[in-house]
Order: sequence, then structure tokens, then C-alpha cells
Amino acid sequence: MPDQPSRLKLAGISKSFPGVRALDNVTFEVRPGEVHGLLGENGAGKSTLLNTLSAVFKADEGHIEIDGRPVEIRSPLEARAAGIAMIHQELQHVPHLTVAQNMFLGRPLKQASGLLVDRRGQEQRAREVLRDLDPTIDPKTPIRDLKVSQQQVVEIARALLENARVIAMDEPTSSLTPAEFDRLAVLIEQLAARGVSIIYVSHKMDEVFRVCDRATILRDGKFVDTVNMADMNEASIVARMVGREIVHQTHTSHERSDALLEVSDLGREKAVQGATFTLRRGEVLGISGLVGSGRTELLRLIAGIDRPTSGSIRVSGRSLPLHDPRAAIRAGIGLVPEDRKGHGIIRERSVAANMALPSMGRFSRYGLVSHRQRHRVAMKVMEDLRLRPLDVTRPIGKFSGGNQQKAIIGRWIAAGTEILLFDEPTRGIDVGAKSEIYALIERLAQEGKAIVVVSSEMLEIMRVSDRVMVMREGRLVATLERDQISEAAIAAHAIPQSQRSVHDASRPDRQDIIQ
Amino acid sequence: MTSTDFRDPAAKGTFARMVPNLRDLGTLFGLVVIFVAFTALNDTFLTVPNLVNILQQSSINACIALGMTMVIISGGIDLSVGPTAALSAVLAASAMVVGVPAPLAILLALAVGVACGVFNGVLIAYAGLQPFIVTLGGLSLYRALALIYTGGNPVFGLPEGFRDFLNGSLFGIPSPVVIVAVISLALWVMLNRSPLGEYILAVGGNEEAARISGVPVARTKIVTYALSGALASVAALILIGRLGAAEPTLGTLWELDAIAAAAIGGASLMGGKGSVVGTLLGAIILGALRNGLTLMNVQAFYQLLATGIIIIVAMLIDRATRGR
Repeated sequence: MPDQPSRLKLAGISKSFPGVRALDNVTFEVRPGEVHGLLGENGAGKSTLLNTLSAVFKADEGHIEIDGRPVEIRSPLEARAAGIAMIHQELQHVPHLTVAQNMFLGRPLKQASGLLVDRRGQEQRAREVLRDLDPTIDPKTPIRDLKVSQQQVVEIARALLENARVIAMDEPTSSLTPAEFDRLAVLIEQLAARGVSIIYVSHKMDEVFRVCDRATILRDGKFVDTVNMADMNEASIVARMVGREIVHQTHTSHERSDALLEVSDLGREKAVQGATFTLRRGEVLGISGLVGSGRTELLRLIAGIDRPTSGSIRVSGRSLPLHDPRAAIRAGIGLVPEDRKGHGIIRERSVAANMALPSMGRFSRYGLVSHRQRHRVAMKVMEDLRLRPLDVTRPIGKFSGGNQQKAIIGRWIAAGTEILLFDEPTRGIDVGAKSEIYALIERLAQEGKAIVVVSSEMLEIMRVSDRVMVMREGRLVATLERDQISEAAIAAHAIPQSQRSVHDASRPDRQDIIQ
Repeated sequence: MTSTDFRDPAAKGTFARMVPNLRDLGTLFGLVVIFVAFTALNDTFLTVPNLVNILQQSSINACIALGMTMVIISGGIDLSVGPTAALSAVLAASAMVVGVPAPLAILLALAVGVACGVFNGVLIAYAGLQPFIVTLGGLSLYRALALIYTGGNPVFGLPEGFRDFLNGSLFGIPSPVVIVAVISLALWVMLNRSPLGEYILAVGGNEEAARISGVPVARTKIVTYALSGALASVAALILIGRLGAAEPTLGTLWELDAIAAAAIGGASLMGGKGSVVGTLLGAIILGALRNGLTLMNVQAFYQLLATGIIIIVAMLIDRATRGR
């Protein structure tokens, strides 16, 4: 479809914030019925561009055209009216309202009287729209009872209900399982076939290659290129994103020695059942499995955050009191949680304060904290991890996601932690910082620390692990040694029988892409 | 560990920490504005006796507000401070009346305050109840205990020695002001220099992150409520020392004045933020406002109006200057 007019065009968009030129004369065009990737590292300007499109804030320069006609969009509401829908990473709905109520939020169907909401009519319309997308969703269920993937479908249905012609999806798969992604990919294809244009923002290259026809790449707020995905490979895209070639390191194995962590029969109700494994010094143990298979819960049990209903943990042969985070930390266990903002950082506090939190005893003399010593240690760790900007007193909330993650890892380095539990270590982190985190994990293993990495990203698991355990429905169902690790092997164990066919159907082309 | 290495970039951070933070300077500016206004409007406002008077009048609220600040920073709220003060006041006063030595009675008052705080804290930290509701319950409970114990009657006849101590002065500064100054200093050190202070800020900033980082979350919360209770008792002692009697109804609405002072001083009810200096300044702002309006013979109703306006204006300025 080479000479079609564009459905949506953002022309010469510039936007500055105090001290930052977030967008610099960016042009971005989407054709009708096209799936268009929007790619770039964190801070490249993707979110700013989307926010300009939905008029969350106003561009300093440039204009927007729809179907060749210039339009002025002054508020998110006007954007919706103009046929532009946003589906944010964190889905926006009112949890206890029903699917139908959420779909009609803000502009309900009225009864003839004009006073009361026409619930039945809303449910009817919602059902009609949902029929094509996912007929198993009942418009009368409260939205919080749906799976995240279904909630996303509801958002898409809502966009269709409003006759959206452009749907922008910001990191839509951040909490989806591979099987759910497959369904979303099919759905996106259907939408495109109906002539809806999709803007697809994602960090995950395999997804982008799977769903996108073309992609526009931004770097440092500037337009780099718009490319046909068919002409590209992962390396050439990444090179455009970061402006240099990223050397793809492969995994290196480390010497193993004595068992450091022994988990036996650990369980918590249905979430985790009978988890038994041993972790050695210098080893990186990957834990794979679908979201909800109990991986996060397992790490939380080991770190003492939640109370196990069965089992025991030994560290260096000594039994560890359960459900006691402080005892776990004293025994040398540290958790780098998945939800960095919610469970990792204390936003307003400095990097130094955040890093020192688990080891206050080490930084105190006569019952008082030695700021000097704390800053010195924090500075050393920051330099070591190449954390930028190098300012120990800066509140951690002001750092980028990748740097926050380094600081959380630094927290455990400063505490002398021996056993590090990583939960989705690179979630929401850009490509450059990702490879730094991998290198760091590798180095920590080399230094003799024992490491567990939970990840939904197959490539990540395969990149860092010496050994992979697969969880399914709360159980550790398989252990794959280094030479057995492959995406196919992991998926075969991870996916419950009931869901397997869906995934298998779409396997071959994914394999090609990942390669 | 050499201490002369000024090339260490951390040294800058240490120095920066000595300078009062920006938010406190803002509160100080607000105080200066109020002082300038009243000085222009009234001749007696800016005189040494009146300034001492303002400090003395602010001391009870400051005392309560400092404890409240610790609770608020940890992400909680303590509505039960007034009744806690009343309960420890009537118990300590009764003890003194029957001949218990004043120092022991003071310890008794503090113990009662700590006990009330620990009761609140345990329900909040271990039973997982909401601070607002628990301390709202405490507000009725402790008041009821004070009323039941006294039958609703004031306890008279406090010993002279006790009263003289609290009505006396040190180098011309009234004892209550000295007491609050010492408490402030201790709390400043605790909040800014001790692991406990770090824990309080962490728990209020992000409780789950604090737990994962090994902060003893429950213990930290309980300590803040215990502190708040103890400081309520100190405030009660200052008051009964001045009045010479302990009323079971004393301390009504103290919690609201204290929350106001803490908020004006920059404490966030969302937790994680607040400062000792800010709260002190907040208490003095409220005290100066009342003092100045009284000097100008403004009716009490209008004083209340002014207090309300000051609180809201302070919050608006806070919001505007902080950005989002």
C-alpha cells in the first residue's frame, strides 16, 4: 500500500520541557489499516509523542492531520472524538464497575427520559462489540474479575465503540503471557484488516516484528527513520534506536561450588506448591513460566515477605526463620522486586538513603547514622554500577528506570548480600540499560554470589541462566540444564494443557523471528 | 576513613544537609510575613515579652504537633492525642494529690501516654486497622476513661513544687519553651541522624519497599504512636502545671491544631515527608496569628476564620511551589 494517503500525520512536532528538548521536529505518519511500531529507548520521546497526540500536553510547534485535514486537538476528550484512542500500559478503569459500565464511562447511554442510565442498552451494545473480540467476556462482570489480558480487550472494545480510527497501544504486553500476546496479535491483525490503524509501542523486538508493518524510530527526541519491518532485522532496528551497534553477548557459565540456598517443599496455599531446589554459589538460576504461575510468590516466600504454609529454607546449611524479611536479609538474601515503583524505591529519599536501608547497622555509630560513610559507600556503588547522574543526594524518584534498578541492585551490593533474587530485572528498562543489567548479573555470579532470575522474556532467561526451572500453576515442573534450554522446551513445560493449542498454532513464525 | 578528604563528592552532600531545606525556608518566610504584618499593625507585637509569650503559648501545640509529625511522616495519623493528654493529666494529678512525689507522677504520666500510643500502634501495625479509625476509637476511649475515673470533675490541689517547675524559667526563657526546645532537638537528631528516623521516612514513603528492604515496619509504626502519646503527656503536664488543676476534658481539639501545624510545616498526610523545624515554625505561625489578633482585639470567631484561611493558603502555596 505505497501511495495511500496517511490516516494520521504528526508533522514537525516539537516540544520542550524546562531543560529538555523532548521532541525536536518529529514527523510521524500512519496509514489506514497499518500497524505502525513506535520505537526508541526510554527517554527517546515515544511517550511525549503519544501524549501530544492525545493532547495531554500541547506541542510547541507542528500540527496534526487526520485523513489529510489539519485538526486541532485540545484535550484528551477531543482526541477521542477525533477517533484517536489510547490504551495505556496501566489500564485505566474503575475496578468494581462492570465491563459495560467501564466501556460507557463518561458518556453513558441514557434512557428515553434522559435522566437515568440505560444499563440494559449499554450491556447490549457492549456485547455486540465484544462478540468479535472475545465473546467469553460478559459485559455484566465487574472488570476487576477479568484477567489483565481481557481487561485490555475491553479497552480495545471501548475504543471501537467510540469509532476509533487510530488506536495507540503503549507497551500492551507488559503483563501478558506469551499465549495472551498471541491472541492480541491476532486481534490486532483483525483490527487492521477492518481499516483501523494501530500505533504499537513496545520494547520487545520479537513482538514488534510479529505485529508491525512499519515502524518509526526515535532517538533523543529526534526522528531517526521510518522503516518497513520486512526489510529489517533486530540488530538493524536496535542500532537505529541506540545509535550504535550493541554487541550481543552470549551467556558465560561460572564455576559452581557449594550449595548456598536450599529450598525444600516451600509452599503457600495454591500459589506455590512444594517448591524444592538448591542454588549454588556462582550460579544463575532462571525461573520461567507464565505470569501468575507463582514465580513472584516463590521469590517473596524466600525473601520472607509472605508467610509460607509449608516447607523450609536453609542458607549455608542453617535453617532460616520463615516470614521474617530481616532474618532473610541477615542470612544474605536480597529481593529486587518486579514492581520497582511500588515495591522497590522510596521516591522522595536520596539514592544513598535508599541504598543504605537494609544495612543501617553498618552505617551507624553510637546509634547515629554516619552520613559521610553512607555517602562514601553509595558513591562507590554508584560509580561501580555506572549510575547516572552521579549524585548520591538526588531523590531516587528522579532517576530513569534503568538507573533506579541499578540503585536497587546496589542496595544489596552495599549490604553484602550473597543471594540475589531478581524479579523481572529489566521490566520497563531500555535496551542499552538492559545489557548493562545482564552484564551486572553475570559479574555478580562471577564474584560468587548465587542468583535467581524470574523473567517473562524468553530471550532474557536464555541470556542469563545457567539452569532454568519452569513453573506452572504454582509448581516447579521442570529443570533444564544449560544445554537443554530453548524457547520451545521452556514453553512446552510452562503452558497448561488447556492453553497449549493456541500457542502452538502460532509457534513457527515466532521461532523464525527469534532465531 | 580520613575526615579531611574534601575531594570526596559525598562531602558536598554532607554540607548540603546542614542547610535547612527549601520547604522549611518557605515556612520561615510565611512566619516572617505574619510578623511583619502584625508589627506594622500593632506596637506591642514585636516586643521581647510578647515574643516570649508567643513561644510559651505555642509550646503545648508544638509539643503535640512534633509527635503528630512523626506519626504523619510514617504514613499514619493520631487523632487520640487530646484524650491521651487528658487521661495522663488526671492520673498524674491524682497521684500527686495523694502524695506521690512529682517526678514519679511525671513518669506515670509519660507511661500512660506511651501505653495509649502503643495500644493504637499495635492495633494499626499488627491488626492492620486503619490509623484514622483506630485513633478515632482511641479518642473516645481515652476520653471516656478520663471522665469515668474522675467522675467528670477536675482534680485540684497540685503540689507547689511541680507547678513552680513548670511555671519557672531558665535564663528568662519559660520552662515549657525550654522543654519543647530540648524535645525538638532530640527529635531532629532522631529523624535526621538515627536509623529510626530513616525507618520512619522509609515506612511513610513506601511501606512495601521498606518491608522488602528489611525495615522493621511494625515496630517503627508503634514507636511513632508511642512517641506521640508520650508527647501528649508532656503537653498535658505543661498545661496542668500552668492551670494548677487537671480537667478530664482538657485537650479537646488538640489533634486538629497539631495536624494544622504539621501540615503548614510541610508534613504530607500521604506520609514520607515532614520536618521538625517545619512543624515548630508551623506551631509558631498559628500561635503568632492568635496572639496578634488578640492584641488587636479581634473577636475569637474571626481568629478561627483567620486560622482556617492560613491553613488553606499554606497548602495552596505548598502545592504551587512543589509543582506536580
